[in-house]
Amino acid sequence: MKGLWLTLKYTPQPAFTFQYPAERRPVAPRFRGVLRLQVEPESGAQTCIVCDQCAKACPDDLIALGGHREPGQKIKILDYFDFNLSRCSFCGLCSEVCPTKPIKALIMSEDYELGTYSRETQILRIDEMYDGVPIEQYTR
Amino acid sequence: MGLIDHKFEDNFITTNVDKVLNWARQNSLWPMGFGLACCAIEMMAASASRFDIARFGAEVFRASPRQSDLLIVAGTVTKKMAPVLRRLYDQMPEPKWVISMGSCSNAGGPFPTYSVLQGVDKIVPVDVYVSGCPPRPEALLYGLMRLQDKIRKENTVLRKERVIMAGTTEPILVSDRT
Repeated sequence: MKGLWLTLKYTPQPAFTFQYPAERRPVAPRFRGVLRLQVEPESGAQTCIVCDQCAKACPDDLIALGGHREPGQKIKILDYFDFNLSRCSFCGLCSEVCPTKPIKALIMSEDYELGTYSRETQILRIDEMYDGVPIEQYTR
Repeated sequence: MGLIDHKFEDNFITTNVDKVLNWARQNSLWPMGFGLACCAIEMMAASASRFDIARFGAEVFRASPRQSDLLIVAGTVTKKMAPVLRRLYDQMPEPKWVISMGSCSNAGGPFPTYSVLQGVDKIVPVDVYVSGCPPRPEALLYGLMRLQDKIRKENTVLRKERVIMAGTTEPILVSDRT
């Protein structure tokens, strides 16, 4: 009788369930998602200065990056940026040391939908690293 | 489906049988939760009322491998636990799928040590790898939807034997560059 009363008490309440693929829960303000590279918002120019600090800061050595210097130019051009997502524990040390201002080249984004079919595709190359890369969404 | 496996050519009837079977399979994935570490907490959250994995048909977390289709490996697999995991996987009836949840079971995570298995795909064939440390419940649901996508495209009658990635090492980051 007591249990039945409890059931009746909770029955008129609205459903608590979050309809995930249809509605998306906002992330916490300091949420750390997958690592992303940022560009200058207006010009789309590269912000990364290929200083290699993120690769040195990573506790698991998951980042490998490199660039080359055009003759007569001051800034290095980023050639490759390989990020091994499979081991990453999203600690944020790499984006913490990123020195570029005012726009950080390396950020922990708000993307968390990371499901892959193989180990090889878990290594993100430079073209999959930029912020705003489209993620396959599901609707149902 | 041991009765009809590898018995027919790919034809009109079998493709339609595929459609029905895959529809049934993708919408009734019963997971066996293999919670080993902090990812298990997120897995429990995904199955609880807030995120409700039952909306995807992955309703009851079975404690017994004989009644489950999907193995969710959530957490660090140590080398002591690995034979147990393999035995439970072998006890599951076909068809069966595996989701590797979290960095630890994907690749060993932050433990490149003697006692931790460097990736659960060395002992069982993994279908979907969900990254995150731990992944949010939404990320697990996303992985589940990716698995359903995969099942939808599967060829049931001509189902290939799945191979384990045994002996594979972790992909080297700068292998093609010097």
